[in-house]
Amino acid sequence: MSRIVMRFTGVGGQGVLLAGEIFAAAKIKDGGYGVKTATYTSQVRGGPTVVDIQLDDKEIWYPYAIDGQIDFMLSVADKSYQLFKSGVKEGGTIVIEPNLVHPTDEDRKKWNIVEIPIITIAKEEVGNVITQSVVALAIANTYTKALDEKVLVDTMLSKVPPKVHELNLKAYELGKKYALESMK
Amino acid sequence: MSEVREVISSGNDLAARAAVDAGCTFFAGYPLTPSSEVMHTVSDLLPAIGGTAIQMEDEIAGVAAAIGAGMSGVRSLTATSGPGMSLKAENLGLAQMAEVPVVVVNVMRGGPSTGLPTRVAQGDVAQAKNPSHGDYKSITLCAGTLAECYTETVRAFNLADRFMQPVIVLLDETLGHMHGKAILPTVEEVKAGIVPRKTFDGPAEEYKPYGVAQDEPAVLNPMFTGYRYNFTGLHHDADGFPTEEIETCRKLIDRLFAKVDEHKDEIELNEEYMLDDADILIIGYGSASLAIKEAVNELREAGIKAGLFRPITLWPSPEERLYELGQKFDKVLSVELNQGQYLEEIQRCMGRRDIQKLVKTNGRPFSPADIIEKVKEVF
Repeated sequence: MSRIVMRFTGVGGQGVLLAGEIFAAAKIKDGGYGVKTATYTSQVRGGPTVVDIQLDDKEIWYPYAIDGQIDFMLSVADKSYQLFKSGVKEGGTIVIEPNLVHPTDEDRKKWNIVEIPIITIAKEEVGNVITQSVVALAIANTYTKALDEKVLVDTMLSKVPPKVHELNLKAYELGKKYALESMK
Repeated sequence: MSEVREVISSGNDLAARAAVDAGCTFFAGYPLTPSSEVMHTVSDLLPAIGGTAIQMEDEIAGVAAAIGAGMSGVRSLTATSGPGMSLKAENLGLAQMAEVPVVVVNVMRGGPSTGLPTRVAQGDVAQAKNPSHGDYKSITLCAGTLAECYTETVRAFNLADRFMQPVIVLLDETLGHMHGKAILPTVEEVKAGIVPRKTFDGPAEEYKPYGVAQDEPAVLNPMFTGYRYNFTGLHHDADGFPTEEIETCRKLIDRLFAKVDEHKDEIELNEEYMLDDADILIIGYGSASLAIKEAVNELREAGIKAGLFRPITLWPSPEERLYELGQKFDKVLSVELNQGQYLEEIQRCMGRRDIQKLVKTNGRPFSPADIIEKVKEVF
């Protein structure tokens, strides 16, 4: 596998960090290398947050995504989208929460912009807004095919308390369903 | 090769786990971005094994309590970032003077002052050499990989007990917060490597804690074990009581230097990456070395033979090795996330002023491209 580079962006407090950790851990459990870094501001809530995820079969030294090499980005906040979109390679996929992120017409020409109401899905269909990071995880893996689904889901379940396993499985399935539908 | 294990974690978490595996049973500190996760993890682990983790009222109290625990004989830790180091400085001077082992993890962020709390920097390297006033010889280790956040913290505890003084472990925001794979020694191997500090077991009336050979640290028995002596930040005699006697004062400070200088071989640790056949020498440490390694690989793919020298023990510096490398390489580039704090040491050790530098102090990491561009520009 060649290196897969992903970026999740949002604002502080949305919980985008966890999805990155799950990806990195799952890749490592699968026998490869995975690194997650998070960059945020000193503003505790509401500051732009960016999580970079790199997955490879070879060792990864530099832990941040390099601008222009990002295959896939997911964004749930407009200010982070605008700040970090330029790192995505031309023709790369950017999944956005359409209620919160507003790409320009030029953006739509440059990248494959996909609208999935991630937060609404988590809040209304799963029933808990916190599960948005798992919805995002499912969408990202469905698009990038980065990891074997079973390894990823098992890793995800190992990182959440048993009493919310079912809720998170539901979130994963819904994320996958919406991602597959958006590809049609 | 000895047995290893694979752990998936962050640098801060690994430093905390290392402390506990290395026999640390006491932590006192004050949470400070980007070091707080060290405290989170020890707060989970220490009470479970009968140890103590305390959030103190401030940074000063954090290090003071940690030093107090060190005086009592246990392995003791505090963790902080730049602003906390500034506040802890005075007490670290006390620990140097009274010869109290304590490990301080400093996860570096942008400074000075409150600076850039959530962003990476290597601006505390000069401070680590002399955090407080007065003359003494600092021991400072600097992790450059996730695994080293663990192994260097373990080494810090062993060195602190061997040399009876504070040992600083420098991480930085990138390493502290990055999450990935680390290949570590087993806990059994770490435990087998613990050398407890020296104690005196002769008659109490013959005990002279500070009356040791000129190149050796004090022998401080744990408190409350029947041996009475005095701790002070004042110049002191063999029993630890204040004195201004001329020769005693001279010999004390000479010894604080000699105990480290005469045993540098026990402290020095470096990594040399792709250096054997290199034409260009890049010197860097900490998380900056991750970008340098990636750059070295890419430069070599383009036919440019670069290599990395990375001091893992920053203080005392690898003087002899730097001198040799300065003789061997014409083209030398120093890369650091400050304005050139270690560059001055490299210049001193190499006896050269023509070393190129790449610096950054805006809270952002170097990318491999930054380094490749600089190499192509200056050489």
